This record gives sequence, C-alpha cells and structure tokens, in this order.
Amino acid sequence: MKNYTRGVSRSTLILLRRQLCSSRPVFHNPVAPKLTETSQDELTHFNALASTWWDVNGPQRILHKMNLIRMDFIFNTVRTHLKLNPPGTPAEDQVYIPPFGLDLLPGAIKSRIIEDQELRRDEILADAKLSVLDVGCGGGILSESLARLNFIESVKGIDLSADVIEAAKLHKSKDPIFNGGKLTYELTAIEDLPTDEKYQIVTMFEMLEHVNYPSKVLLEALKRVEVGGWLFVSTINRDFISWFTTIFMGEHVLGIVPVGTHTLEKYINQSEIRDWLEQDPERKDSFQVVDVKGSIYLPAYGWKFTSTPDIGNYFMAIQRKK
Amino acid sequence: MVWKNLVRTLATAATATAAKPASLQDVVIIGGGPAGLTLLAALKSSRKTRHLNCTLIEGSSLQPVREFGVSPPEEYTNRVVSLTPKSVEFMQHRVGNWDHIKQDRIRFYDTIVAFDSQDKDARIEFDASQIGAGVLAAMCENINIQSSLLLKLEQLGLDDSTTILDETKVVDIVHPNPPDLDQHDLNAIDPNNGNPDLDWPIVKLSNGESIQARLLVGADGYNSPVRKFSGIESRGWQYNTFGVVATIKLQYEDFRSIGWQRFLSTGPLAILPLSEDNATIVWSTTPKLSELFLKVNSEIFPHLVNAGMTLDEVDLKYIYSMLEKDPNDFSVLDEIKWRMSKIDTKDLEENYPLPVVEVIENSRARFPLKLSHADTYIAPRVALIGDAAHTIHPLAGQGLNMGQSDVGALVEALEKGVERGLDIGSTMVLDSYVAAAWPGNHAILGICDKLHKIFSTDFAPMVFLRGFGMKSLNMVDTVKDLMIKAISGR
Repeated sequence: MKNYTRGVSRSTLILLRRQLCSSRPVFHNPVAPKLTETSQDELTHFNALASTWWDVNGPQRILHKMNLIRMDFIFNTVRTHLKLNPPGTPAEDQVYIPPFGLDLLPGAIKSRIIEDQELRRDEILADAKLSVLDVGCGGGILSESLARLNFIESVKGIDLSADVIEAAKLHKSKDPIFNGGKLTYELTAIEDLPTDEKYQIVTMFEMLEHVNYPSKVLLEALKRVEVGGWLFVSTINRDFISWFTTIFMGEHVLGIVPVGTHTLEKYINQSEIRDWLEQDPERKDSFQVVDVKGSIYLPAYGWKFTSTPDIGNYFMAIQRKK
Repeated sequence: MVWKNLVRTLATAATATAAKPASLQDVVIIGGGPAGLTLLAALKSSRKTRHLNCTLIEGSSLQPVREFGVSPPEEYTNRVVSLTPKSVEFMQHRVGNWDHIKQDRIRFYDTIVAFDSQDKDARIEFDASQIGAGVLAAMCENINIQSSLLLKLEQLGLDDSTTILDETKVVDIVHPNPPDLDQHDLNAIDPNNGNPDLDWPIVKLSNGESIQARLLVGADGYNSPVRKFSGIESRGWQYNTFGVVATIKLQYEDFRSIGWQRFLSTGPLAILPLSEDNATIVWSTTPKLSELFLKVNSEIFPHLVNAGMTLDEVDLKYIYSMLEKDPNDFSVLDEIKWRMSKIDTKDLEENYPLPVVEVIENSRARFPLKLSHADTYIAPRVALIGDAAHTIHPLAGQGLNMGQSDVGALVEALEKGVERGLDIGSTMVLDSYVAAAWPGNHAILGICDKLHKIFSTDFAPMVFLRGFGMKSLNMVDTVKDLMIKAISGR
C-alpha cells in the first residue's frame, strides 16, 4: 500500500478508506422521504460550475469530450435500430437486407448495399420527428447537440440546479439555430413533470451517480418513454477502477474534474440496473436493455468505447417494447 | 444610378434598426481558388453537410473560369498543377467534379525521371507500374479544376444555401463588439457590426454588406487575411528562388508518359508533357536569372530550355552571360547547337525529353518560392486550408494536392460534427481536422525542403554523395516503391 501512495495526501487515503468500506445499501433504497432529490452539497457544487460550463478548454473539457461519444452512442443506436422495411412497405420499395453476413459479398456489391441502407436510414430519419427529455441537462451540452440534429423535433432539458439552468439558457441564446424554440429548459425534477408527457428519447447521462435515490429516478424516467422509444443512461460502475480513475486520478491527482464532482457510494453497477429491470415482471416485459458499452478516458485522445461494460464508466440503451 | 444613390441616402438617414444587419452564414469561405471551391463543392455534395448555409467570396472575377467551362481556349493556360492519384480519387468519389474536368486537357504520367546536372549518371526513375499502379500523377490546368467545380455546383443546383460572390473583396474581418452603451446617438451604431450576442466573426465586404460566420474558412492564399485575423502564426522562409512557368510546344507529341526534372544548382527544371505536342515547364532559379528568362527573346527561349535540360552548368553559365548582355542575341543559338551536338544522339533520344520548339506567347510568368507552415490550422470559428495553411517548393508537385487533402480532412471533421450535433465552428469539431492534416503536411514540407537544399549546391563532396544516393536508391526497389507510393499519395 505504502509504495503506491507516496506523495498522496493523507486526506485522500482517508477518503479512499471511507468510500471503499462504506456498506450502505446503495441502489435499492426502500423508503425515500422525497423522491429524486440531489444532495444539497452536490447542488452547491454544480451551481459553482455554471459559469465555466461552456468553456471547452475549461474545467468541463472532459465532459465536452464525453459528449462526443454520448452523441455517437445515441446516434448509432437510434440509427441501427430503425426498421428499414416497416410492415406494409411495397416490395419494390424495400431495401435489400441480405440474410447473411455482408462480408461474404464482393466489395463493390457490399458497399452498394450499405449505401442503399444508409440512404433509407436518412429518409426515415428525415421524416422522424423525435422528442427528447434530457434529465440532468446541466449547462446543456447534450441538449444543444441533440437539438441540432435534423431528426429531433424538440428537446427539453431539466435540472435541479438553478445556476446551471441559467447558464444553459444563456448559452442557448448564443446560437441562432435555437431561435425556433426547438430547445427549452426547465428548473424541475423529473417526478414533477406530468406522467402523460411521453418522449421518444429520454437521456440521463452522468446523472444517476449524483442523485440520492437512483431507482426512483429510473422509474420516473421509464414512465416517460414512449413505446418504441429509448432511455439512454450512463453512469459509473462501483469498483476500484472507477474510484481510481474518476475520483483519485480525475479529481485529486490530475485535477481534470473539480474535486467533489463524484461520490463513490453513489456509483451503480450496470448489472444492478439489469437486475432491477428484471425484478418486476411488468418492467421486464416492457423494457429491454439493447446495448451496453464501457467507456474509458485516455488523456490526449479523449473518450473511447470499450468492450467491458462492467468496468469503469458505461453507457446503456434501454428500449420500451410495449 | 441617381435613384439608387437617393435610396441609399434615405436608408442611411433612417434609424439604425432599419438598415440591413449582417447576414448569418454557417460557412464563409474566403478565396475562390481550387481549395476554396473544392471545399464548397465537397460540402454541398455530402449528404451530411449539404444543408449548411455557405458563402464563398472571391476578390477577382470568376467569369474566365465560367467561360472556360463553356468554351475552353485552344492554348493551354500557364498555371498547370500535378494531381496525385489520391487527389483524382477524391475528386471522383467525394467531390464529384472529376466528370466535369475537360479530360482532353489532362495528361497522365506513369513515370517521372529526375536527374542531376552535375553527374549525368545520377538519375532516378519512378515508374508507377513497378507498384502495380497505372498512374503516378496527372497534369491539369488550375482553371480546368476550378471550372469543373463550378460546373459540379451548377449540377447540384444552387439554392439559397449556396452563394458565390466574385469580384467582391474582403475589406475587414472583425470580432463582434457589444454596442457601446455610452454612445447616445443610436444612429451612430453600425448595424454591420452584427449580432453582439454571437461570438461569430464578421466579414465586411467591398459591396457594403457584411456577413457573420459560424465558421470562417481561409482559402485565401499565402498572405491569408483570415490567418492574420485569427492570430495563427505561420513560420517559414523565402528560398530566394523564383519559379518560372511557361507553356511550350515540343517537336512532336511525346508518347512516353514521362515527366522530366533536372536538378541544376540554381534550382530544378521540369518539363511536363500535356496532350499532343503541348508541355509545361517549371524552372526554379535565382531571382536574377528568372528575370532574364522572362526577357529572353521568345525565339531563343525554347533553345534555352533545351540547353537547361542537357548542357553542363559551365556551358549554361556562359550562355546566361551572353543573354544577360543582350536577351535578343541570336548567336547563342549556334553556341547551344554546337554544344548539344557533342552529346550522343542515342543518349539524347533515350535519356532526355523531346526538344522544345516554341513557347506560347505571353505564357511566361514567375513567382517567388517559399516554404511556410502555420502552427495550427484552426482557432475558434476559423479554419485554414490550402496555401493559407502552407506553401511548398513545387519540385515534387505536391502543393495543390496538400490543399485537396486539407479539404478532405476538414469535410470529414465537419460531417462528424454535424452528426454529433455540435456547433461546427467549435474547436471540439475542428480539432480532428488539424490532427488529421497537419502531421502529414509537415512531413511533405520537410522532405521537399531538404531535396531543394541537397540539390542546390555544386559543392563536390555533396554532389558525390547525392549522386551515390540517387544511384543506390534507383537500384533498391523496396525503398523506391515506398517513394512512388508517397509521391502518388497512396
């Protein structure tokens, strides 16, 4: 232990011990005094960050970088799960979907088939008018990106920190593309939104690890997903690697994230979300985890997807089947 | 006219809010050369970036380019560039302007022969068939490329989202300033100062309008005003050398598809055949000689080029000195003839280009050669492409191709940015353009610079070393294959 910790302050060690030894039941929170409230000191922390939120070279640079793969994850998931030949498509309008691996075909034919499919995806998306609810939108990094996509009709960003919502609104006015009212922000908790307000896409990125009762928040989010729609979640597995990368290195050693951004006990393993979805037969019936990807931050490169969703940060796509 | 002036006076007299504010554009490209036009055509050809509002601004008139598209002149223009197969592929598949290129005015090469004036056995032949590829490079007029791009844009159908403003100069580029609140006279607030809420740069034009740009692209050449506006430093040096270009006629059509380059101590001389008996030359040389080459009688000039391709430097110096005394001294023709007669005819036929017989009137021009490379190609809301980002010695014919690969990398970065819903003026989008384009360009610039320096000396040990190097290289196929791939951009 000693060798590894040379030069690290004592307080960091105490932090490590306290966090790893914490045996508080994390994910399943039996009784919640008030539903999805975020702890007060975290709110204060995010309020303080509001002014530098949009400085791409500032303290939130890593979040701006992460936004790139968030968008890739959403874009690719939505795009690859489109029904290219929805029932009722006349035979002559159907695109060819070979019943075997495309790699078996000669290059020219393969690229032609892919080109046809891509064109069809563009067509479908051009007509799709998706609505988005971005829960925990912060300064609006993801909300703005989503609102710029041509297949998204409206984006509502909600957060509990008044200052970041202000920062988000201010920044929105700096791009005339949002003048049409496509993008709105609201200082509200998700449970205060009417339950009959449904969205095709609900996103909760880097948010579950900041709330006190994640299962309640997840439940509220799922309630607002339309049939066929998506819930995109990203958070952090509760393991040593996560503590080492996000808290120890990220906050205390390299200082790429402001100290106090994370709390290890609040991290949630991806398997816990899967288990929780399957616990309730009705939930199990309506929702399906379609994709999970791990992700890692490489300094000087940025974020990269990994094939190990059980370690460190991860992204999850849950689709509502019915 | 009077009416127009009156309206303008009335408009100025009206309140500031009534005047026309700066228009907003997603991409403003400064410069209608091949790089700028390629970017516009590439953005409009891509499904992902087609919707962007783009304006291209060019100071000179594009009318000659449009006319070239309709009825090209018989003679070749003197600005001819070499295209690598990679650039040709880019024009075919990404931009789609290749179909609009006047194919009868381009010439493909499969071989390039480079040789040393100090040591006639020191030569290196790059033959594309050696790596199983048919083509090493294609010679094409600048205006042919520009015209194909305009035709491509026309074919795509110009809607409101594409504007080309030629004969329009950039008067100034400024950062938007919040209005001065102490300024009580509201009429004095210039509406051309744009929307102060946006951090988009404002381009003020000679026609009185101004445009506020989400992304400002400098395709505005070596002295790039966009680069100066962005504060990006560019480093490099003058070679104290001028490139003299001219369009010439060979004795007859050369069916060998060979580009020739002879390294003289004053700089390389290249003869690059075009279709039929046409060819173009690029003769890099000292400022004094370049001036002389433009002055030399047009009946003598073709012989001077032949001499430059074949004779020893001592003889060349003597001929230069004769012409310096009198550029119309026809007695040099005999001097050249006599000296060339001493070279074995078979050697002359096999190892040298065909004799030049004529230079096209008014096709001779010179331009200073320099190396420059910008420290980066981007700043918030600014990107540089082509000569605005780098200028290179023409000895390897890479200049235009580097611009094409810049455009390829920039369009790819913008496509990704659009797909990710980002603000395309943000460095989060533009970073990947620099990462993709800068290192490769830097390597090419460095190599061409070293080649120039190695060959611009007649210091005997250096001559021996480079001769030894060329001869050995010519024998080692593996290394040569790598060089061929590099030259052709593969």
